[in-house]
Amino acid sequence: MTDFIQNCIDGVMIGSSYALLAIGFTIVFGVLRRLNLAYGPSIMLGAFVGTLLYVQFQAQILAVALVTVIGAVLAGMYVERLCFWAIRRGAALASMVSSFAIWMQLEEIAVIILPERTYPFPALTDLAPLEIGPYFLRSEHLTMFVVAVVLVIVVHAVLYRTRFGLAVRAVSENPDAARFMGINIDAVMFWAFAMVSAIGGIAGFLILATDQQVTPYFGLWATFKGLIAMMLGGMGSLPGAILGGLILGIVETQSLWYLGNDYKDLSAYFLLFLILIIRPGGIFGHAMSEREREALRRV
Amino acid sequence: MLTVDNVVTSYGMIKALKGVNLTAESGKVTCLLGPNGAGKTTLMFTIAGILRAQAGTITFDDTDLTQFSPVKIVEHGISLVPENRLVFPMMTVRENLETGAYLRVGKNRSAIADDVERMFARFPRLEEISTQLAGTLSGGEQQMLAIGRALMARPRILLMDEPSLGLAPLIVKDIFRIIEELNQAGVTIFLVEQNARMALRVAGHFYLLERGRITFSGSPGELEEEEVIHRAYLGSRRE
Amino acid sequence: MDDYVVSVLSNMGMISFLALSAYLLLLTGEISFGQQAYFAISAYLSAMATAMWGWPLWAGLLLGAAAAAFAASVIGVLTLRLRGLYFSIATLAFAEMVRLLFVIFHYQIEIDGEPVGPDGAEGFRDIRWVFENNISAFEYMVIIFLVLFIVLVLLFRLWRSRLGSIFRMLGEDTLLAEMQGLNVIRFKVLASGIAGFIAGIGGAFYAHFATYLEPQIFNVMLGVHGLVYGLIGGLGTALGPLIGVALDIGFLEAIRAIHGYRMIVFGGLVAVLLIFMPRGILDEERVHWIRMTWRRWRNVAR
Repeated sequence: MTDFIQNCIDGVMIGSSYALLAIGFTIVFGVLRRLNLAYGPSIMLGAFVGTLLYVQFQAQILAVALVTVIGAVLAGMYVERLCFWAIRRGAALASMVSSFAIWMQLEEIAVIILPERTYPFPALTDLAPLEIGPYFLRSEHLTMFVVAVVLVIVVHAVLYRTRFGLAVRAVSENPDAARFMGINIDAVMFWAFAMVSAIGGIAGFLILATDQQVTPYFGLWATFKGLIAMMLGGMGSLPGAILGGLILGIVETQSLWYLGNDYKDLSAYFLLFLILIIRPGGIFGHAMSEREREALRRV
Repeated sequence: MLTVDNVVTSYGMIKALKGVNLTAESGKVTCLLGPNGAGKTTLMFTIAGILRAQAGTITFDDTDLTQFSPVKIVEHGISLVPENRLVFPMMTVRENLETGAYLRVGKNRSAIADDVERMFARFPRLEEISTQLAGTLSGGEQQMLAIGRALMARPRILLMDEPSLGLAPLIVKDIFRIIEELNQAGVTIFLVEQNARMALRVAGHFYLLERGRITFSGSPGELEEEEVIHRAYLGSRRE
Repeated sequence: MDDYVVSVLSNMGMISFLALSAYLLLLTGEISFGQQAYFAISAYLSAMATAMWGWPLWAGLLLGAAAAAFAASVIGVLTLRLRGLYFSIATLAFAEMVRLLFVIFHYQIEIDGEPVGPDGAEGFRDIRWVFENNISAFEYMVIIFLVLFIVLVLLFRLWRSRLGSIFRMLGEDTLLAEMQGLNVIRFKVLASGIAGFIAGIGGAFYAHFATYLEPQIFNVMLGVHGLVYGLIGGLGTALGPLIGVALDIGFLEAIRAIHGYRMIVFGGLVAVLLIFMPRGILDEERVHWIRMTWRRWRNVAR
């Protein structure tokens, strides 16, 4: 039982960064009705530039964090302009495929920056783990969790208490009506993308600083984690994204503990598949709105 | 005063508007009637900047708006109540009203809050449901909300695209009463409608649009009501 | 013909099956990120048949493709209620599950004192039927293209047939199709099955071409590539995916010289292409125009 709860604790902590990635996918989906397959790689690109600074110039951790986020944001803006803004009127498929092509492009750029298979990444903290009864709370996990919670609160505040947030929500619900209100759709999409890239950059930084290493597989990995978490909770729902991330984290840690490494990812995919079959809208699912149906209909 | 001068708008190779001329005078309710497919919504969208006219000009109080983006159109005081209302379903009534004032946010928060109160005073029903999600409102309530939302931009002219669409007859009466009251309060209104009978009751001047062209311009009463209704639904009689 | 060219062409041929498989589903309105699962199932099963049970290639291929078709039909049934991106992610999840299952799948028998068979992440070696039966690389390539040609012809005839228009109706507007009395379930599952079968053919050919399989090969990248080929080449015709394959593999081989920058160049080109041709090079409009022009020519010549 102790193990189970310990795993839950660890799972929730790790899951909080998955939740951040899922939030990124969700907001982009909400505003653009498309999946950004280049999300993970753009975060990775930022992380690689940060790593370069760390490895070549022994930069401080905060500098690395800042560079990671800025790099992710710049990469994200590039993706938005090329894959989404430029193909605005086209079918959703073209945008997603384009983002896939850019995924490959960004991965190659990253590998050019840092050719080795693995690099060290600065540690998030070097404090001793916290002990509460029989349970350990690793300090990196705790930091990750706290930062994630703060970030979620900030995102919520932005979306529900600022003019920009109002515009984002309006565009998500009905871009035509938003246009009639004088909202500049292109600008909203661009800045929403930038915000999402910043969130992703922070999430990426937290994860890599916890692992203390970075590899070129991070891009693919982050994309998957974010997608799975988003789908678990229900595409298009922010609370769903958060819940999905936490659940994914817990499922991973539990299956790793009880079934071993080989089954860790398998369990996650199996759970996702199961949930999709049983409850097509995800855990927080709701019957798809007409607009989603419209948006997804024409391939 | 809004002037549309020889406007031509095409969808690909199809000319939806083949040279439309009309004027909406300040302080009046001007109506555009016509059958489905005549180009009424196309004209609205062209004025609102969503569609670009291939030829002709649109002038509003001496400013040429023909090439303006939707954002600039709203900035210049033209506000649209879209066909089918298009309220934001997951936002509350109050938030919907606030989006109407989007371009004014940041400039004066308290003025906007005052305007919301003013909108509630004009439409007391909206105040009753102010925290409800707009998607759960009835058709009539949504229409009221859409009108209120458009008014939040403090427009100099209000464009309305088929406000009676999909509403029960009693509600339609309410909506047109609101239109009349708004006009009496000084709001200039340019109204596109299929429900000719109700529209003629409030219009100061009306036009008939058939197949992309204006086929009649005059005051209510100049043409027999039956004739107008026929042409509004079916187009001109083929003799 | 030089070995290198034969190898590249064979690759194109085999991947074309995967691309056609994804394309068929695209026609019915579904974006599948998981056709590589059926490619994998058939690859492994056909290889087991020939390398472990002594079956001839054609039998192994049929077994593999049939198994792939069956699996695809099952998934087709399970995902019936899913639309749009939910369907896409479900196919992705399934394909990854298949891949991960092969990582833990160990099944080996002894042949001549040596263990033969899939060994999890270590892979499945010695799928040597093609060599043991003295079929040259060139001959194998011809076989691949022959089968590909047959599949293409069948697909073109399918297109013209009533079944084809039903599939395309599903793609245009499933709800509408349903309201017209179409048994959507039956046709969606049928489409899934056929697509799975096609992918399976490719997988079986691949197993015997590469003589070595490991789960890592059948990852999402492979699947999304299959999808992308259809989109680049054009959604207007079954030739589209083939054009996409030829462009991708051909182009990548051609710019081998700038080895480390290939994806940067290629990825960028694809993105730019999609801006101007979001439905591919041979999209429906262009194909329609070609057909009309051809018809006019013929009438003039009369």
